[in-house]
Amino acid sequence: MSFIPGQPVTAVVQRIEIQKLRQGANLILGFSIGGGIDQDPGQNPFSEDKTDKGIYVTRVSPGGPAEAADLRMGDKIMQVNGWDMTMVTHDQARKKLTKKGEDVVRLLVTRKSLEQVVKQSMCNYPRP
Amino acid sequence: MFCRNQTARATVARGSALEMEIRRGKFRKSVFLDTSQDSDIQKKIDHEIRMRDGACKLLAACSQRDQALEAAKSLQTCSTRIMAYMSELQRMKEAQVMQNIPRRSSDAGPMDGRLPCKGKVAISDLRIPLMWKDTEYFKNKGELHRCAVFCLLQLGGEIFDTDMVIVDRTLTDICFDNTIIFSEASPGFQLRVELYSCCSEDDYSAGSTPRKLASKLSSSLGRSAGKKLRAAMEPGPCSPVSNGGAAPLLLPVPSVPGPKYHLLAHTTLSLSHVQDSFRTHDLTISGNEECSYWLPLYGSVCCRLAAQPHCMTQQMMSGCLKVKQCGGDRQSWTKVYAVLKGASLSCYHRQEDVEANVEPAFTIGINKETRIRASEKDPHSKVQNICISNQYGGEEVTHTLTADSREDTHRWMEAFWQHFYDMSQWKQCCDDVMKIELPSPRKPAPLTPKQGSLYHEMVIESSDNLSTVSDILARRMQELELRSQLGTSSPWMSVFEENSTKSAGFRHQCTSHLSGHSPCTPHRLTRSPMSPHRCPQLGLLSSDASLTSDSDSHCSTSPCSHHHGWPEPSSNFSLSSSSPSRLRPRTLSLDAKLSTLRGRGYGGGGTFQCSCQPPPSSLLAPLPISSCSPRSQRSTQTTLSCSSSTSSNSSSNSEGSHSPESSEGAPFSRPSPARRSLRNLRARLDPRNWLQSQV
Repeated sequence: MSFIPGQPVTAVVQRIEIQKLRQGANLILGFSIGGGIDQDPGQNPFSEDKTDKGIYVTRVSPGGPAEAADLRMGDKIMQVNGWDMTMVTHDQARKKLTKKGEDVVRLLVTRKSLEQVVKQSMCNYPRP
Repeated sequence: MFCRNQTARATVARGSALEMEIRRGKFRKSVFLDTSQDSDIQKKIDHEIRMRDGACKLLAACSQRDQALEAAKSLQTCSTRIMAYMSELQRMKEAQVMQNIPRRSSDAGPMDGRLPCKGKVAISDLRIPLMWKDTEYFKNKGELHRCAVFCLLQLGGEIFDTDMVIVDRTLTDICFDNTIIFSEASPGFQLRVELYSCCSEDDYSAGSTPRKLASKLSSSLGRSAGKKLRAAMEPGPCSPVSNGGAAPLLLPVPSVPGPKYHLLAHTTLSLSHVQDSFRTHDLTISGNEECSYWLPLYGSVCCRLAAQPHCMTQQMMSGCLKVKQCGGDRQSWTKVYAVLKGASLSCYHRQEDVEANVEPAFTIGINKETRIRASEKDPHSKVQNICISNQYGGEEVTHTLTADSREDTHRWMEAFWQHFYDMSQWKQCCDDVMKIELPSPRKPAPLTPKQGSLYHEMVIESSDNLSTVSDILARRMQELELRSQLGTSSPWMSVFEENSTKSAGFRHQCTSHLSGHSPCTPHRLTRSPMSPHRCPQLGLLSSDASLTSDSDSHCSTSPCSHHHGWPEPSSNFSLSSSSPSRLRPRTLSLDAKLSTLRGRGYGGGGTFQCSCQPPPSSLLAPLPISSCSPRSQRSTQTTLSCSSSTSSNSSSNSEGSHSPESSEGAPFSRPSPARRSLRNLRARLDPRNWLQSQV
């Protein structure tokens, strides 16, 4: 999931749609994020490549909307509602997720297991 | 034939019995000469040779790069010292030979044979700016080009070296913190400053690789690597001939494998460069870019060169004098004890006042403008008077002094003349006494973390601002955290298996400790068992399907429990939080204090979150805990983890993690937006906090 500067990033992603839950005055999603281009990537326990400054899901609150939408801990968020999350600061990412006017966020996330699944499926069905 | 400044003096009469004995070789003539100087130098040379042998052995034996560099540095210093002593010995022998030749009076030394007084010269705060190319600075690939550098300072016969500094492209200046003091320097001194550097990259074992192999290697490797290798292996055109050329007296320098220093730059400082403040001087750079030991020097060196001539700091002359009163009758004289030092003649009532540091009765200024002359013989006393005239403002003030005897008068005049001569020789140093700081006993260098980013050295001035101090503490704890070793299995972990009653009891015990701001040892003891306590509980945490993880993650937001945020099943990871026991006691009690203050500050908040930044007293209070009482087991975990981690830590991480506060079912409330943004800012400024935000 690392990138080479100048080259397009490719990843196998899953679409996840989370309906925000209203709690009093706040809309919550029920997960926590970590990372960002202003953060130290070496401290990210989920990233494969320790120079990856992307946004990762660090915790999913059980019973929350994120868990219901099958967001998993360790997922890397690539897009939020069409906004790119691979090259943003931590606060920018948080803001894109917590916009007051939006009831739903559509994420594109990637995880290691997805890549593996795709690879496996490709192996099983070799192209002619 | 007799020179005043020659201390070694002995003539043997021709045809005397002594001469016969000398001829027969029974006695050496040198026995009768003052050979103390000779033997001094000889002793020094022997000492340095022994040091050098030791350094060679050490160099051959040591395996680590740092040790090798240090040993090579001492080798270089010893070699230079040996060379200096040898040349001085040579000079002295030549002088002795010259002395035996009868001299004409015109060959005598400087006029009047007067020598200026010696002085102390100190050079400190050497700083050599570097000028890295921006390409060099920003390139991320490849290893850092590092050099080990040190300065060699030579004045007269004294040679000192500074500490060794490793320089790479993250440094903008080479700074040497040492203060070097040369004690006996004449005003015409030449202080030679030499910068030696040695490439400190991979193990290119220097010197012993045969040329053919070297050229083969360098041609087969890539261009830049080969160039470096070649430069490291053969000194080539870059290094000067450091072995002293053709001096016959010199012993051959043993060639030792290992790092070798080369002269990179040098300059010579003299009296004209002396000033009480920092000055910049030019450097002459030897070597070019092709050399392995090359560093892009800006071309100048800044330093503080101060000089204290002895005439300014020591008593040049002292004795009893009689001073004529300015007013009143002409015959009244005041007996004083006068001391000539620095730019004044201090007159004390009694001799004892000098030692007692009592203020002198009066002081007569002696400076460049003072005029001293001996007046005509006083008809009454047959002793010449000494008149000292000074210009104060527009008017001229004259003091008249008399000594007790003619010899005294003569000696005082002599002293005054010598003083004037010294001042004329030392020039600007005599305007005011320059401050020379004695080098203090070396404090061990503070341990710097491996990552050398500027943030890590940034110190936020701690005011009464709680959050700042707590941040600093959090950072310190995190630092310790990251340095701790994983996998320390503690035997007392078994004590803290799932028993909640036990843990509750333990909680009381530890909180009672905390609340008392007790001496740190019990605090620490309670802490260490607590942290691994969390570890077995982690298993419970992750399996617990309720809101435990939420609350826990809020409260146990210390860097120790940083890892709680990612409740990894692997115990290795969680065990790393056992380090708080290593904290210094001072931090702990400060943390405890902070926690009380913070608890008080947040008292009005009344949120679960706030209560988890425990003032120890609030832990005992039923109200805040009652909010987590339905999850009593977890509450003990939380309290424990909170009390084991300090509130300071939790605050710093809570800044990030709590900023967009949200909760599932528990009565959380957001802290005020202003406080939150301030904490956010600070959390964001500290790159060591890997921020997590809840959305």
